[in-house]
Amino acid sequence: MFDNNKPIIALTGATGFLGSHLMASMLTGGYKIIVLGRPAKEETLQDRISKLLRWFGIEELAGQLEFVEIDFIKPMLGIPEAEYKNLCETTEQIIHCASDTSFSERKRDIVFKSNVTSLEGILEFAANAKVNFFHYISTSYVSGKNGTICKECLSSATEFLNVYEESKALAENIIGTYCENNSIPFTIIRPSIVYGDSHTGRSLRFNALYFPLQSVKYIKEIYLNDIINHGGKKSGQSGIFIDDEGYLFLPLRIYLPKEGALNLIPVDYFVNATMKIIDNATSGGIYHLTNNSPTKLEVISVYNEQFMKIKGVEIIYGKSADNALRNPAEELFDRFIEPYRDYLSDNRIFDRANTDLVTDNLHPPEFTDEIFKNCMEYAIRVNWGESVFATVNEKN
Amino acid sequence: MNEILKTAKNCRHFAMCKIDFLGSGVCVSGLEKHYASFYPVGRMDLYAAIAENTIPVTEKCVEIADSCNLCGKCDYQCYYVNEMRPSKVMKALKDHIDAYLKSGGKIVNTEDDSILTEIKGIVGDYWATNDPAIRIAYHHDLCPHVTFKMPEYVVMPNSKEEISSIIKLLNKNKIPYVVRGNGASSHGLVFSEGAILDLSRMKTIDFDEKNWFVKVGPGIASFDLQQEAKKRGYRVHTAEPAALVCANIMTSGLLSLFSTTYGISADNYIDAEFIAKDGSFFRLNDITAPNLFSFQNSISDHEAFAICVSVSMKLHPVTDDESGILVPFQTLDSALDFAKDCARRHIGLAIGILGSEFISSFIAPTKKLAIEAKNIFINKLGMPFLVLLIGDTYALRSVREMGFPAIDQKLFKTIFQGLSSLKSAEWLSLLKGLSDDEPFSYLKLSQFAELAETALAPSPAQLTQDIDPDLRLFFEKLYSRPEMNDLVWLNTFRIQSSRCCRENPCVALVLYLPIDNSLIAEIQDGLRDIAEKYHLKNELGFITPIDNGKRCVWEYDYYFDHNDQAEVSSIQQATYEAGTLLDEYSVKTGTIRQVRYVVNQGCCRKENLLYL
Repeated sequence: MFDNNKPIIALTGATGFLGSHLMASMLTGGYKIIVLGRPAKEETLQDRISKLLRWFGIEELAGQLEFVEIDFIKPMLGIPEAEYKNLCETTEQIIHCASDTSFSERKRDIVFKSNVTSLEGILEFAANAKVNFFHYISTSYVSGKNGTICKECLSSATEFLNVYEESKALAENIIGTYCENNSIPFTIIRPSIVYGDSHTGRSLRFNALYFPLQSVKYIKEIYLNDIINHGGKKSGQSGIFIDDEGYLFLPLRIYLPKEGALNLIPVDYFVNATMKIIDNATSGGIYHLTNNSPTKLEVISVYNEQFMKIKGVEIIYGKSADNALRNPAEELFDRFIEPYRDYLSDNRIFDRANTDLVTDNLHPPEFTDEIFKNCMEYAIRVNWGESVFATVNEKN
Repeated sequence: MNEILKTAKNCRHFAMCKIDFLGSGVCVSGLEKHYASFYPVGRMDLYAAIAENTIPVTEKCVEIADSCNLCGKCDYQCYYVNEMRPSKVMKALKDHIDAYLKSGGKIVNTEDDSILTEIKGIVGDYWATNDPAIRIAYHHDLCPHVTFKMPEYVVMPNSKEEISSIIKLLNKNKIPYVVRGNGASSHGLVFSEGAILDLSRMKTIDFDEKNWFVKVGPGIASFDLQQEAKKRGYRVHTAEPAALVCANIMTSGLLSLFSTTYGISADNYIDAEFIAKDGSFFRLNDITAPNLFSFQNSISDHEAFAICVSVSMKLHPVTDDESGILVPFQTLDSALDFAKDCARRHIGLAIGILGSEFISSFIAPTKKLAIEAKNIFINKLGMPFLVLLIGDTYALRSVREMGFPAIDQKLFKTIFQGLSSLKSAEWLSLLKGLSDDEPFSYLKLSQFAELAETALAPSPAQLTQDIDPDLRLFFEKLYSRPEMNDLVWLNTFRIQSSRCCRENPCVALVLYLPIDNSLIAEIQDGLRDIAEKYHLKNELGFITPIDNGKRCVWEYDYYFDHNDQAEVSSIQQATYEAGTLLDEYSVKTGTIRQVRYVVNQGCCRKENLLYL
């Protein structure tokens, strides 16, 4: 139920993965939320949020929501003056979660427009509203490609793995400067790679951790179908077969540039930690929501071997696949993981001093076989997101 | 309307049953008797007329019904094109006549009048008739814009001298006439209350290889000429396979994806022989010949200036390393840029931007699979546009060096024969993600075709699994043949092009215009808005660059159900408005030419058509 003691929060990105989970948690915690967003092609903002509330099973809390359809790029967020004034008067805190998460260089302009250019409107709104906190959801990877020890401070990196990291680093700096100049208390929250709920495996987004695994599953199915239904000649040519234990032997060498691991946190940890930061933050605080026990790809590969009943996956560090003689599956898989390659063997170490201070040493769980299984089972159940809302009526 | 009558009335009149495009043979009675009514296309009309009691049972009617041996060849042909089974109609016709005669029905005899007697004196008794069972096959087509006319006579001359004598006789007696090549019609242009001169007996092909040309009689269909040219190692520039070469050149001029290099209009031929309206002969190359190279940009009276009785076509050399690729694009804009660039750099022999409707209709053997394929191309593969490019090794290498991912011949065969598996291929969803940085970059993987082959398990059996069971074996063998999977052969012979009307016939709006992306987008929006106002399905057909990439030929299609009077009214209104819109753009830009104004000026000089 709505709690009058809680600040009224304007939330952007509520239809996204992290934003929606934050919204659900805050609604449950009694916050009143003003959702700032855009309609989709054939859905109003309210329809999109209603669908999410059903997914979270909290439709009864819809009364704590208000909706304002905005355009970040336009003056006064593209809404009428009176409405804008009212919005400024009502809003006490802002959580800016909206972001374009594409890594694609080809989409540089779009990513920068979403993640950087649009800041002007939302920061101006923060100043006009005289909010008592502006929380920015960023990424722990703003430290650039050369950072091995990443501090909880603004990034001065100049080289990044992709346009997403670059835009988020720039955005943080703009926010830091603007908020200081305008006396707006602010925090920057930097999650690493976020996967589904560590208890239930439920998720709304299936990229990052999921995409390579989805790729393996589909490649496996291609060859299983070839063996079972078409005699397996093609599979045989690539050394792919079903072994005596019923496992598919699928030679899949994964070439990674260096030794390292994936820094994974579950979405429930992200939400809990963020809520604690919101409750206890100090202005200018930057917080790494990262895992002190990153997971090596070999470990995930072992989990997956059991889960998908496949063998033959091999991780090779320090070599390029360019000169290797690869089977068609390896060549395709290599292309699939290309955007994620550096994150699969990341050796950046994240300082968490600020985070530990305000989150009572709340830490993400180790990525166990059980968590992996829960997440994958859910991903498959919802067809990697294709039918994620079709399962809304199922038992959560 | 019962199913058989519905089938009869759904005949598209493309006359594909008059050419042996599948290698399965052509209706024997048609080959022997020549009149359209002895081919399946004519029997469809005849059955509909008999069933609806619009003509009586005549001698020819009985002869036509008797001459069908129910061999089923027309089923193969018509199923390939339209997924229809005309043999049911053929059998119904035979049964109807049989029952009629058994019940004591009388055969109506048509009397010869004096004109017919004189015509028969010129062409011989058999080759001129006023029997309604023959005339009915020449009285209508699916064009929604014309009033159909029942001819008084159908005449099948066999020489230019006979034609000359006939028209002198018709002129003397003030009897109107029109000339037809194949006895088929699809654009409402060849109807007359007087005489129809069907020239399809005049099937002469004379090669002069020393001088790189072939002289073609007016009864020769594109497919037949192309086959003869191919046997000798050449290619001729032809249009749809059943279209008659002479008629096609004279009526609208030849257009195809090969127009990029072979050109249009007078680019395609060297000389032509004509019979003037007074029955005299002339050759285009005669110093005193009328100037048929000229072009007037206004709608003509649809009356031919003269009758073309032969045309000498250019023979084009063919290299043994020709192959085809399909280059996918997410937007029409990027497809236009690529096509224009290739044409300007003289890369490729044939270039065409194909919309997803065309490409899916062409490659899918059934309507159901075509709908699924279209959905896959647009939604799963994110390829609403594909540029087909035919070229030699050097041309295809150039495209690769330009950096464009492409579906090559091997992958095309895999996709084509694995089409049924594509719809359930979950792995396709991953490919879209791979396109983030560079669209379709997965096509550049050296082993992608191999992986696709493993995934789709392509085979003729798979491709034909939804085909009627009794035809499946035939089609399985058909699709096993190399040429049926060969982009070069398929585009040279164009046997799939009539599939674009498989679901419903269409009115093709065809125009020449500069490759100006924003102009094309603007006109396309206008054409789409008009069609949608009338709830008509509408799609891009193709765009082919011509004239060294300065201009293009553009086809935009409006689809309609010709058996639904409300839709016929809609298409009439929509095409009228589309014509007005195109006229406005023509005036505004001064650079647009519409093919509807080219009618009967198809042999004009390209430069007169495009530049003046």
